[in-house]
Amino acid sequence: MAIRGLRISEELRGFLFVAPALLLLVLVLGFPAIAAGLQSLNLMWVEKPAFSLAAYRQLAEDPAFTRAALNTAMFVTATVAFHLLAGLGLALLLNMELRFKWFFRVAALLPWTVPDVVAGLVWRFMVDPLAGLVNSLAITLRLTNEPVDWLGDVMLARICLVVAEGWRAYPFIMLILLAGLQAIPRAQYEAAQIDGASAWQSFIHVTLPNLRTMLIIALVLDTIWECRLFGMVFSLTGGGPGDATQTLPLLVYRQNFEFFNTAYSAAIAVVLALAMFAIAVPYLRMTMKQQA
Amino acid sequence: MTRRVPAAVYFALFAMVAFNFAPFYWMVTSSLKDSTEVVSFPATLWPRTFTGAAYREIWLHAGFTGYFLNSLIIAAVTAVLSSTFGLFAAYGFSRFRFPFRTALMTLFLATQMIPGVLLVVPYFKLLTQVGLFDTRIGLILALTSITLPFSVWMLKGYIDAVPAEIDQAAMMDGATRLQALRLVVLPTVLPGLVATMTFAFLLAWGDVLWALCLISDEAKLTMTLGIARLIGQFRVDWSQAMAAVVIASVIPALLYLMMQRFLVRGVAEGSVRD
Repeated sequence: MAIRGLRISEELRGFLFVAPALLLLVLVLGFPAIAAGLQSLNLMWVEKPAFSLAAYRQLAEDPAFTRAALNTAMFVTATVAFHLLAGLGLALLLNMELRFKWFFRVAALLPWTVPDVVAGLVWRFMVDPLAGLVNSLAITLRLTNEPVDWLGDVMLARICLVVAEGWRAYPFIMLILLAGLQAIPRAQYEAAQIDGASAWQSFIHVTLPNLRTMLIIALVLDTIWECRLFGMVFSLTGGGPGDATQTLPLLVYRQNFEFFNTAYSAAIAVVLALAMFAIAVPYLRMTMKQQA
Repeated sequence: MTRRVPAAVYFALFAMVAFNFAPFYWMVTSSLKDSTEVVSFPATLWPRTFTGAAYREIWLHAGFTGYFLNSLIIAAVTAVLSSTFGLFAAYGFSRFRFPFRTALMTLFLATQMIPGVLLVVPYFKLLTQVGLFDTRIGLILALTSITLPFSVWMLKGYIDAVPAEIDQAAMMDGATRLQALRLVVLPTVLPGLVATMTFAFLLAWGDVLWALCLISDEAKLTMTLGIARLIGQFRVDWSQAMAAVVIASVIPALLYLMMQRFLVRGVAEGSVRD
């Protein structure tokens, strides 16, 4: 095949299809990612570039970083657990022969369409001490006599954050797991039934093993998405009270745009990226093997 | 041979519906209260005042008309760009074998592991150098790059499902590669393309981090950025804030309701990459 008299190989042709997308990714993601790395090592955008690990040393000694790293670990663990449990539970229900199935399905996924920064603001007003729905219901039902200051208390604020982000994103995990459930061959359940298995036994011996891959994918992807969550934390708690809910992405943002510690903020971001990458390695390897 | 579904299942499902809908209920009813009732204690479960004043205020005076249009334009252009670039790349990955193909595909996927906060600062400096800071184009390019990797993976899933013999047959009849893509493959994967575009649109519409760092001109604010700015104010007018929130949620919700079938299938076909 020839273009303007030039013979180009099939290999090159395939690469040319990919090239525009690759170029865009290199420019907008690749270059900034490398620049951030260099910046954290004091090699870029400074008056006298000189290799220095000062930013990383500062990181090891900064209690705000340790706090944020712990907060992130706690938040991600609790939120992902919420998503997987609620997502799996709901997926199992929606996989049954239901009446009004379309309605439940639509209702199930709706929270996921709300942008995270928007969801954060709604939940902030839901748990408003005086005018919020949660306190209003709690008082009506006589669960409490005095309004609870949900976002003013360290533990309660953390719980609010997990519930709000749980609400927003469990529908999508449910969808991934539902797709996995629907791919399980019916015959396996029928065989289990003939062998006299109870519903619980067929869940343990048929559903879970078949769902394993999907569960791992959901676990890894969700962990990564929650590690880099920004808008929800920004609008619901803003990291407060104090720094009780400040996660790493919020700390990076603050260090750069509020305190102008560019190199330090880049160092924190690099550490976060490396951690996320480490979590994702098994997933990346799995996909690579599939595509080879 | 369908098993009877126990009543407890419906009970659990209605609990789910209540949990999922409560925030929607609260944002809509609060947006219809006047600015005094909305902060009265204890909160009224149903608006006593019932007024559209908050919407009028947000829409006419607070500049949200402009923010809304900005978000619409930015998200739509992002969706079109990332699915166009994505379609070509996906076709390349699906139909050709070339050196580093798997490595490149993994690289596309690995970009998901880079948190946005790592990229915004250097990207912001880069944009300033080329004079694109505080422009919609700069923001659109950033959002396109974020949505591109999953667009490629999703579209590759759809193209893989189309037999390569169809392209071969078209090329036997004298079509070029590009014609085969446009005339044979594209019509077949159109539902997938629509699903991919919807995902990209939702992601771009929901972004706040990139807009926060790349846009400062009042006239170019997006919906989410306008809402983020409400939080920073000394006194939040909650009925107005909730009206803005309702407007920001309506577009993605409508889009989801219209595209529901495609989206669910998109995920079901194993293309779950954000």
